[in-house]
Amino acid sequence: MATEVATEVASLDTSEKTQVVDLGGRAKRAKPFDSPRGVRRVGRYVLLAVISFVVLFPIYTTLIASLKPGDKVLENPLIPDAFTLDVLASAWTEGRLGRYLFNSLVVAIVITVFQLATSVLAAYAFAFLEFPGKNLLFLAFVATLLVPLEATLVVNFDTVDSLGWVNSYAGLAVPFLATAFGTFLLRQVFLSLPQDLRDAAAIDGVGHLGFLRFVALPLVRPTLGALALFGFLASWNQYLWPNLVINEADMNTVQSGLRLLSKSNLSEPNLVMAGTVIAAVPVAVVLLVFQRQLVRGLTAGAVKG
Amino acid sequence: MNNSNRRRHRMLWLFAATGVIFAACSSGKSALDTGSEESSAPTQPADSVIGTDATDTEDDSADSTAPASTAGPTTTVTPLADLPACPTDALAAADAAVDITFWHGMSSDNETALIAATDAYNAQQDQVRVNLQNQTSYGSAIDKYINASSSSRPALIQLPDFALQEFADSGTIVPSSACIESSGFDMSPFLPRALGAYTLEGVLWGVPFNISNPVLYFNRQMFEDAGLDPDDPPVTLDELRSVSQQLVDSGAAGTGIVLDSGPDSGGGWFLEQWFGRAGELYADNGNGRLARATQVLYDNELGVELLTFMQDMIDDGLAVSVGDNASGQDSFLKMVDPASPGAMTIGTSAALATVIQALGGGIAPGLTADDFGVGPMPGPGDTPAVQVGGGSLWIVDDKSDEEIAAAWDFITYLTEAQTQSTWAASTGYVPVRNDATEIDPLASTYASDPRFRVAYDQVLSGSDDITANAPALGPLRAVRAVTASAVAAIFAGSDVQTSLTEAAAASDDLIISYNTRN
Repeated sequence: MATEVATEVASLDTSEKTQVVDLGGRAKRAKPFDSPRGVRRVGRYVLLAVISFVVLFPIYTTLIASLKPGDKVLENPLIPDAFTLDVLASAWTEGRLGRYLFNSLVVAIVITVFQLATSVLAAYAFAFLEFPGKNLLFLAFVATLLVPLEATLVVNFDTVDSLGWVNSYAGLAVPFLATAFGTFLLRQVFLSLPQDLRDAAAIDGVGHLGFLRFVALPLVRPTLGALALFGFLASWNQYLWPNLVINEADMNTVQSGLRLLSKSNLSEPNLVMAGTVIAAVPVAVVLLVFQRQLVRGLTAGAVKG
Repeated sequence: MNNSNRRRHRMLWLFAATGVIFAACSSGKSALDTGSEESSAPTQPADSVIGTDATDTEDDSADSTAPASTAGPTTTVTPLADLPACPTDALAAADAAVDITFWHGMSSDNETALIAATDAYNAQQDQVRVNLQNQTSYGSAIDKYINASSSSRPALIQLPDFALQEFADSGTIVPSSACIESSGFDMSPFLPRALGAYTLEGVLWGVPFNISNPVLYFNRQMFEDAGLDPDDPPVTLDELRSVSQQLVDSGAAGTGIVLDSGPDSGGGWFLEQWFGRAGELYADNGNGRLARATQVLYDNELGVELLTFMQDMIDDGLAVSVGDNASGQDSFLKMVDPASPGAMTIGTSAALATVIQALGGGIAPGLTADDFGVGPMPGPGDTPAVQVGGGSLWIVDDKSDEEIAAAWDFITYLTEAQTQSTWAASTGYVPVRNDATEIDPLASTYASDPRFRVAYDQVLSGSDDITANAPALGPLRAVRAVTASAVAAIFAGSDVQTSLTEAAAASDDLIISYNTRN
């Protein structure tokens, strides 16, 4: 079993290496339009450029609109001739975005921390412990991935409502404290750890929690980072749920707060654009800083199923 | 190797097994349902099911089923004693200030005006404290209300005209009639049309608060550029077409009128309004006012004529549709589109203050707030007439007596002449009572800015027959969604008669399904 894993890891390594070498060689050889391969590459870049244009264009117009003074919103839509930060400033104060950003932050952090804790513990159990009904239970876990949020919306709302959690942080966060996706992801990564490590730890007299704390977790740190990021982004971007459980203006998250901002200022479209930009900044920063980790972490467990 | 293979097999098997379990769960339910239907159908004819509750009083059950079979055009009157009571004197007995929550759907300048009114109320007395909660639209207020348990529902909710039947049937509302009766509140200054709009089977369910109706917004500059009289906007459909033609031909405007296919505007509400103006029924049984409506009638000659007219306008480049027009902005923005601006649009009078505010803020350079005019909504026939739209205030049952009484007290404040005068002058809504127009600020606003008066005059004009009231349909929201997509298809070139016939069939299904459920 152990050797099997070892050889698989080894073969993985070599395949990665050869790929890298191959890429390097290709990069040296390739001259655009020289060969069919070069033409294909140019074509690929053109396609990517078109796609990124389609994706980025709305973001660009949002950004531009948020920087235009009020009387220029409908003029020169693409290349503005005047810039101002006033709109961003008044969106911040009028939209009370500080308060909403704080709420979003609290909820996102609570959700992220709890998701990590529950996922790690559940995944550890599924990966390393033997207990009756383990596979069936795991399947039930995974099966919940197939149930979209919308399907559980009414039931969740009824529960939160009956607990009196409407208009509270609890109502915003509690339904999302555990995640089947995180459990699944971490289980796969745990399974790829060599059994030898577990055995060695056992010989040294380390218990489950010790093994988890000192051996397993440090090894899967990239995945933990990715999972944390994923949970944070998902909860930050929630729209439907906060809109449902929050009626009190002060308890809105930034996404549902934007709805209020847009409804209160129908006559000032640029204010809403500015609010959108402000709401997107924290996420954009987090993504830019951690994007490599996100990609690495999500693919880390994927190779070894 | 062998080991892992076997494990993989087992996993596959388990996946399949859970799949089967899930399938069994979902089909099990329907199997149960069909089973019960099959078993009940042969043993008990559908009719006798009603009688099973009161088998020993056969006469009574026969009586209660009798009206259903003879449902003719007679107004049934629901006795107030059968509905939740309204203990309006409970407020005086309350020891401390009563806190109530009020869900509203006001936006922009209308929200500002509502906040001002509520703050004034909270400041002028210490018995009631009103907590405003903005649900951002009528639609989301309704959806949330339906989902919420009675404890998280507000004591007071602002509901639109199209929610009348649905909420009257919900069994969660204290009818305003009960409060009027118990408090002896004087309703005589209220506009009869406004009360009629929220009355069903003789019961006034919500007190009208913000009445609006569709009006024509137009660009006075463009009218002048095209050689048209900006003080004489088009009223009939023929005029609308010739004015549009002149606007486009002269180059004064890119397009004549900006249309839309939103459910609560061009795709539904305006259609109902045009039927009312033409004196025709939109749904049977007196628009659902004499008895429950059983089918819609909008796929008739008038419906086809109206939508053919609109389709031709679009085809001939005299009109353009901005589609769904969510939050009502797009049609106005199209009027100031630098590339191809529209000269006119039809929109709710409730947008008046917001439009003035936007133009005053300089959103469209070269166009001031005085450069746009307001006229009656053009439509079939020669006489402008509208049905009362907008919102009303509904008291929620299942609250304490104090809260119900407090909600009623707030309603009486919001609908008193002075509040209504200020409210109408700062929003563009029509005041719900005559005497509000005689006092300032509204009296001077009407004198100095006739644009504010157009919607009020429209409510007063027109005949008072049954078609003056908007259709009361349980599933009206869904019916509007159906007509909206039909109108969008027609604007895009679909056959008018076919689209309307299909939409009417779908609407009838919705109504039948609602009537069997409620």
